[in-house]
Amino acid sequence: MTALAPYIEYARKAFAREATYRIELLAEIGSLALRVYLLRALWTALYTHNIAPMGLPLHSMITYATVAMLMSLVLEVDGTRVIREKLREGGIAVDLMKPIVVPFAYFSDGVGQTLVHALAILPSLLISLMLVHIDVPSAATLVVFFFSFALGYGVNFFVNFLLNGVAFWTLETFGLQLIVRWISDLLSGQILPLAFFPGWFGRAVFALPFAAIYSTPLLVFIGIIPPRQWVTALAVQAAWLVVTAAASYLLWRAAARRVVVQGG
Amino acid sequence: MAKSLGVPLIVTRELRKVFRSAKRSPGPLGALRGLFAPVYEDRVAVAGVSMEIERGELVGYIGPNGAGKSTTIKMLTGILVPSGGEIAVAGIVPHRKRRENARNIGVVFGQRTQLSWDLPLVDSFELLRAIYGIPADRYRRSLDDFVELLEMGDFLRTPVSQLSLGQRMRGDFAAAMLHEPPILYLDEPTIGLDVVAKEAIRTFVERVNREQGTTVILTTHDLADVERLCRRIVLIDRGRIIFDGPIERIKNEYGRERTLVVRFTEPTSAPAIPGARLEASDGITARFVFDRASQRADRLVREVSERYSVEDIAIEEPELEGIIRHIYTQGYAGEERSA
Repeated sequence: MTALAPYIEYARKAFAREATYRIELLAEIGSLALRVYLLRALWTALYTHNIAPMGLPLHSMITYATVAMLMSLVLEVDGTRVIREKLREGGIAVDLMKPIVVPFAYFSDGVGQTLVHALAILPSLLISLMLVHIDVPSAATLVVFFFSFALGYGVNFFVNFLLNGVAFWTLETFGLQLIVRWISDLLSGQILPLAFFPGWFGRAVFALPFAAIYSTPLLVFIGIIPPRQWVTALAVQAAWLVVTAAASYLLWRAAARRVVVQGG
Repeated sequence: MAKSLGVPLIVTRELRKVFRSAKRSPGPLGALRGLFAPVYEDRVAVAGVSMEIERGELVGYIGPNGAGKSTTIKMLTGILVPSGGEIAVAGIVPHRKRRENARNIGVVFGQRTQLSWDLPLVDSFELLRAIYGIPADRYRRSLDDFVELLEMGDFLRTPVSQLSLGQRMRGDFAAAMLHEPPILYLDEPTIGLDVVAKEAIRTFVERVNREQGTTVILTTHDLADVERLCRRIVLIDRGRIIFDGPIERIKNEYGRERTLVVRFTEPTSAPAIPGARLEASDGITARFVFDRASQRADRLVREVSERYSVEDIAIEEPELEGIIRHIYTQGYAGEERSA
């Protein structure tokens, strides 16, 4: 417990820090409601021209798009942004002069930031329910969805960690971030279900880690992944979590070595 | 009571740090050549520094930019691995046990802060309390002390982003000392501060050194800080220690020149006194430089008053700043490394 105390405090302070931006949080909820409304209009228009994928009915599609939006409240928080900022200002050195395991501190900081945005989910959900109809799955499906969402959160965290970690070598990662974020949004199934992609490409995207972030939990939610495939789907996510975490660990070790040998 | 075995708190022996960077070859094939047959360039930042610092000392560690000061401090804090030599801080090899070493040290950087920018000052102290596991009652007591000593009562609950530089620095000092470390590293702690804030910081450093016996290593370009606080200075240039000893000694060895400032009652062109060199003159005020070992000040004063109509005379003692500037530009001529 005492060993965890510093990290809990890191998360609490990150929460307090992020919570100082109240107006931004309100704007986030407002903009989300607007996007949910626009997506409904978009999909309704597209469906009148008969482009339903996988024979997915319109109400499932709107549920998919709306839940993806709600998930993005949490998944779009880049909890490891702090690494990039600290590298630029030389703050990593200050953190290394503390008796802490630095990557744990950054993870806790990210969790604290995320929790603030998670608070926006409930009001956003209530507003969304006034604008669109969402299919509510069974209790068991919801439980599996939340597990899958948590795994997706982990994969997303480490993908971000890897991206920001590149800053140890290049300092400036904004361009790279932008490209990868865009690719990730597209290939994770946030914008549209991955089944939309044709042929080999459509199969390949399921083999990338990005699919573990949005697609798997969403397909569980709308029932495309049936109960008998739940274990496999979550196992694949867990495997990606292990792979991205291991890669992050190796990257951190190389980065820390670079800092202690080259002076950052 | 048995005398403690006089092991110094901080010991370095022939401490070295060489930075290696890949050199880029010119031309279109340069990048390719760099990939397969990289050429490295070595830059020696610290070229064999040996020093011993006793418990309770307050040492000024000074030198020109790029001399190797921060590199040494980074090795002492354990965030940089030395390329050679030995190092021990309170019996610990810092880079081997970074976190253990971190408990023994406090660090203040004048150019960056360890405080959380968006949060009230006190929140940063609470985070540090959790990091160092400071018991509640001890935390309360230390915080009360610092609030009083550094007059932080008015801005303890103000977000750090809204503090003035002087207030922020006071916060940074409290943050560095909250866990009562036996060693305090200060890197340019008074940079950019006004005279009042500087004085508050100096008084604070003096006090923790005297009352808590904190060992302080002060790195700065502001020699007034050093003159006010330190008895001993360690002067480093191009990665080597060129002087280590009391301030008085460097002053005696280098401060041989004094300046006689004379103000005439009427414009006087090209004034001259035997035994002194005219350094500057604007017609009304003239500055003569003389060697205090070979020339007596009273004779020069008499001489100048006999020759000219004088309104005022003053004698300026050499400032540490001038001496250090002289050493930076001319090099140190004294015996290498006398301790």
